[in-house]
Amino acid sequence: MEILQIKKLSKSFDRGKTNVLNEIDFSIMKGSIVSFVGESGSGKTTLIRMIAGLERSDSGEIYLNENLVSSNKSFVKPEKRNIGMVFQEYALFPHMTVAKNIAYGLHQDKKEAKNRIAEVLELVGLKGFEERYPHELSGGQQQRVALARAIAPKPELLILDEPFSNLDAMLRIQLRNEIFEIVKKTGITAIFVTHDTQDALAVSDEILILKHGNLIQKADAETLYKFPKNLYVASLFGEVLPLQKEILEQFHYQVEENKQYAIRNKNLKISENLPYKSLAKIANTTFLGENYQLKLALNNEQFFQVYTKEKLDVETVSIGFEKEDLLVF
Amino acid sequence: MQFMFKSTHFKRDFNRWSIFLLAIVFFIALPIIAIFIKLFGGPGETWSHLVRNVLTSYISNSLYLIIVCGILTVLFGVSSAWFVSRYKFPFQKYLEWLLILPLAIPSYITAYAFAGLFDYGGSLELLFKQIAIQIPKLDIMNIHGLALILSVSLYPYVYVASRAFFLHQSANLIEVSKLLGVGEFKTFFKLLLPMARPAIVGGLVLVLMEVLNDYGAAKYFGVSTFTTGIFRSWFALEEPETAVYLAALLVAIIFGLLLLEKYQRRKISYSNSVKSERKQQKIALSNSQKWLVFSWVSIPVILGFILPVLQLIYWATLTYKEVFTSDFFTIAMQSLGIAILAAIGTVFVAICLIYFTKWNRIPFIGNLSKISVLGYAIPGAVIAVGVMIPTLTLDKWMIGVAKNFTSESIGLIINGSIIGLTYAYIVRFLAVAYNPIEATSLKIGNALPESSKMLGIGNIRTFFKIEFPLLKKGILSAMLLVFVDVMKELPLTLILKPYNVQTLAVKAYEFASDELIMEASIPSLFIIFTGILPVIFLNKLIID
Repeated sequence: MEILQIKKLSKSFDRGKTNVLNEIDFSIMKGSIVSFVGESGSGKTTLIRMIAGLERSDSGEIYLNENLVSSNKSFVKPEKRNIGMVFQEYALFPHMTVAKNIAYGLHQDKKEAKNRIAEVLELVGLKGFEERYPHELSGGQQQRVALARAIAPKPELLILDEPFSNLDAMLRIQLRNEIFEIVKKTGITAIFVTHDTQDALAVSDEILILKHGNLIQKADAETLYKFPKNLYVASLFGEVLPLQKEILEQFHYQVEENKQYAIRNKNLKISENLPYKSLAKIANTTFLGENYQLKLALNNEQFFQVYTKEKLDVETVSIGFEKEDLLVF
Repeated sequence: MQFMFKSTHFKRDFNRWSIFLLAIVFFIALPIIAIFIKLFGGPGETWSHLVRNVLTSYISNSLYLIIVCGILTVLFGVSSAWFVSRYKFPFQKYLEWLLILPLAIPSYITAYAFAGLFDYGGSLELLFKQIAIQIPKLDIMNIHGLALILSVSLYPYVYVASRAFFLHQSANLIEVSKLLGVGEFKTFFKLLLPMARPAIVGGLVLVLMEVLNDYGAAKYFGVSTFTTGIFRSWFALEEPETAVYLAALLVAIIFGLLLLEKYQRRKISYSNSVKSERKQQKIALSNSQKWLVFSWVSIPVILGFILPVLQLIYWATLTYKEVFTSDFFTIAMQSLGIAILAAIGTVFVAICLIYFTKWNRIPFIGNLSKISVLGYAIPGAVIAVGVMIPTLTLDKWMIGVAKNFTSESIGLIINGSIIGLTYAYIVRFLAVAYNPIEATSLKIGNALPESSKMLGIGNIRTFFKIEFPLLKKGILSAMLLVFVDVMKELPLTLILKPYNVQTLAVKAYEFASDELIMEASIPSLFIIFTGILPVIFLNKLIID
């Protein structure tokens, strides 16, 4: 069942001068974890803020559980949408204890609320932290309280807005895995906003790629990796080398008209035994300790890098690729 | 296209906050609207006489004051700000905050004190006689004296603004300039002064507003300005129409000044981009240099604070027996009561204005709210005139209605009442409350109230549960600032106060007008005492 449907959603700022979102269309299935990936300025933040009801659209519709919550004529306030949100800066209420923060969204009697608080704190591994104040917690603990607070009222949809961007790399990966384990345990539908492709790959059922306010591609991780819609999507998962028609001909590859080709850097290998191969000149060699970095020239303009265990004392090498490794758009 | 685009959302986005916001904006703008409506009624009989004979002197006097005060306040304010933030010299730490203290003394009180100091047989003459020195008589009861007095009592606005800039200025920038071989003197004039310009002009505009707002000092020195002209036409000539014309002209001049300020600010936007991470080391000066700097920086403090306060204390010792009566106690209580009431009212309206603007979803209406804080730029006398017009109309209407029910006349209800007076204070001082509360609200940010909404709590409950507890500091400082401004306020209070109510400011003014200037010292000292509190507070705010 679809829990969220977005239809031709558009938004601009500065009275129509800057388009932030252009007629976005997609839907999300109940129980899935979907990542929104894009650089800053891609419109991903605006998109989730409109889903949450914190921002209003210029045109288009948003349906939650098949109910219209936003259109040109009607608008359901954020407090009535039953969406949970974890903010980038945690946004814990500084003048309330952990328990009070979590109780804030629980509109039920005290005893029930108390049980629920204990339950979610246990879930996020912060049992016994009820009476602490936010400033007494570490960044990671604050993040977990923010998650506990957001899931306590059992929202239909949980939005995590770049929740790990304030953490250092080590803690980030650990916390990311922990948090998504919790999210999966609760079975809640979640939208995860990030600019980090690795984060998105690690946790999500589906990934939605946004650029300059346009929805470029929405698919599961494997599809995105194997069949990216364009060079931009391909480049999100590692270094990609665009291949011009002339160069492909050098490799004796039969090119089609009106198609673009590229290859992931790591799929271009030094070997004699590949179906498509060509000679490349070694422009220079740099010793990096564990291996050597070779800068190879396919022609006078296009260079790329490969790594070898041993130093190659030749002027040219044979490089090549497998057919299935070629990306075609 | 643009309009259609907007109107399609109007139904969706127009909410009750939009209506409340419009109501507040109307409530605050009404006095100025009233003045402009009244303009269409044509000027009074004396207008043409006024234009022919005195208007040029109003304009030339006001211009003279603006120019001279502008130059002197920038000279005192910027130089002392630069010296205290850059160099080490004797008593530098004390002077740093003593330089702000003249703000605690309303300029009319400084004027009274100066009159006492320089008068024939005044304190300075007596003092020098003691040591057998005959000093030449200095007549300061004229426009030049007035310009000097306004300058020494208002320069702190420029000082505070430029010191904040110099303190937060990156040490790196000055070092880079030095490394490029540019000397101290040139670094200041070529690099820092141009960068500080928006801050300086910001302070200067406040000075000029206060110069145009002044009534007490100009009146006491017998200088005709717009403000004294408004009083004269309304009360002496009994011609409100003429007063309204003068008020409108004054408002036009002020909006001209505001536009100039906005224009210069737009051209330079880089000033805030440099934030200091490292505090500057203060530079030590040679012996003669440091005493020279000390003397220069002391001048505005002595003229603007120490001399007037000493003079007032001296007078107070002579008159306290006559002045301290139960009447005086009543006046002090009334003054405090009015100031507290006005502070609460103003803060309440400011909070409503800030939050209704946030909750309103129509950008056009949100922009309108910016007009409401312009009251601070408009002189008290003008606001008083503007408040009188609609309140008199409303009172007349109510009297008419009441007549239908009873045969007796109910008299004026709002005009000349505490309600009318408080209303005028709110209009005039809304910006004073608005700024600290808005700054605190910006610090709280959007994420907290948004989180609250995502947890199912609406605007009003979010305000009381989340924002209000975090706003307390801002609200308290806003109340304190409005409280003190109301304690000091003179022209507006003179026009609108109920006849049976007195304030300390009005009492001081009345003593001075009745040639009882010595007696004016005690209410003046009370006003100064309350005024010192927020000055200390303000200073702390800048250093933090």
